[in-house]
Amino acid sequence: MPPFQLIDPIKLAAELGYTLIVVFLCLMIFFKTREIYDLTRHEGINYFRITFLFFALAYIFRFLHIFSILEKITFDTDSMMDIFRIFQFPLVFNGYFSTLAILSLTYSIIWKKLHIKHALLLFNVIAVLISGIAFFSRSPLLLILAQAVLLIFTIILACYFYIRSRKFSQLFLLYVLFLLFWVVNLFALGPRRFIPFEIQTVFQIISIAVIGIIYYKVARWTK
Amino acid sequence: MDKIRRRDRLGMIFDILDIIRHHHNSIKPTPLLRHSNLSSQSFSEYFNELMDKGFIKEITDDNGKKFITLTDRGFRYLEKYKLISGFIEEFEL
Repeated sequence: MPPFQLIDPIKLAAELGYTLIVVFLCLMIFFKTREIYDLTRHEGINYFRITFLFFALAYIFRFLHIFSILEKITFDTDSMMDIFRIFQFPLVFNGYFSTLAILSLTYSIIWKKLHIKHALLLFNVIAVLISGIAFFSRSPLLLILAQAVLLIFTIILACYFYIRSRKFSQLFLLYVLFLLFWVVNLFALGPRRFIPFEIQTVFQIISIAVIGIIYYKVARWTK
Repeated sequence: MDKIRRRDRLGMIFDILDIIRHHHNSIKPTPLLRHSNLSSQSFSEYFNELMDKGFIKEITDDNGKKFITLTDRGFRYLEKYKLISGFIEEFEL
């Protein structure tokens, strides 16, 4: 028996189901907002919708990383090509797209107050730096740490602007929860299970509910 | 409706397009400027933006007079504006 058993095939099915639902909802948000962005070219709408495109891609690569770990441990096979595994492509792309998503979502709500020239270029630089951590360290834990730091920074920044405008926003709370659950989901990529599977499942159900609420709000305005 | 209060960019675009619609989808540039209650420089900027984005087009009648009309895209913008502004407000964008 391997010393560290991450998840078994049944749990893989749960991860697959979770990934499919979240990716579906994220892509639906992205495509449903296409028309209103096309008509307005509104910067906030642009960053809002690409957030969900990036998260969809991040969740796909997160699942690929979990699959590669599980396959190696559970089935004692490795269908991933050596080059794919050596360079940790799923983890690197996971880090890259999720960093872009976090930054895009934050910027979508503060862009009017903090205008950054070439914002997307800057976000790409930051995303490359953070995914570089994943690449060189080959460790999901450092990626988790880097993204947790980024998340805390963006929450503080967004809170600062909210406090100045003196209004409490339920939507902001939704976003914080969504991003927090993303970071929690990254723990599944580690070699040890920090969070028991049952608790992780609860977090995943709640995160599906959160993104489901966001999708519902989008659908109301994009008939 | 002709007196346009200070609004954001998307609201201004809506107002200009709405003026054209209310004039039976055919209005000369000078009356449009007057009804929009904008400075000529601001109006020029909005006008160019609307042309570039394909919301309006210029047509010339048999006497060589120019008129501004809405395109299908312009009509769609008017139709969707309430949803657009509701979306922006809902998501605080």
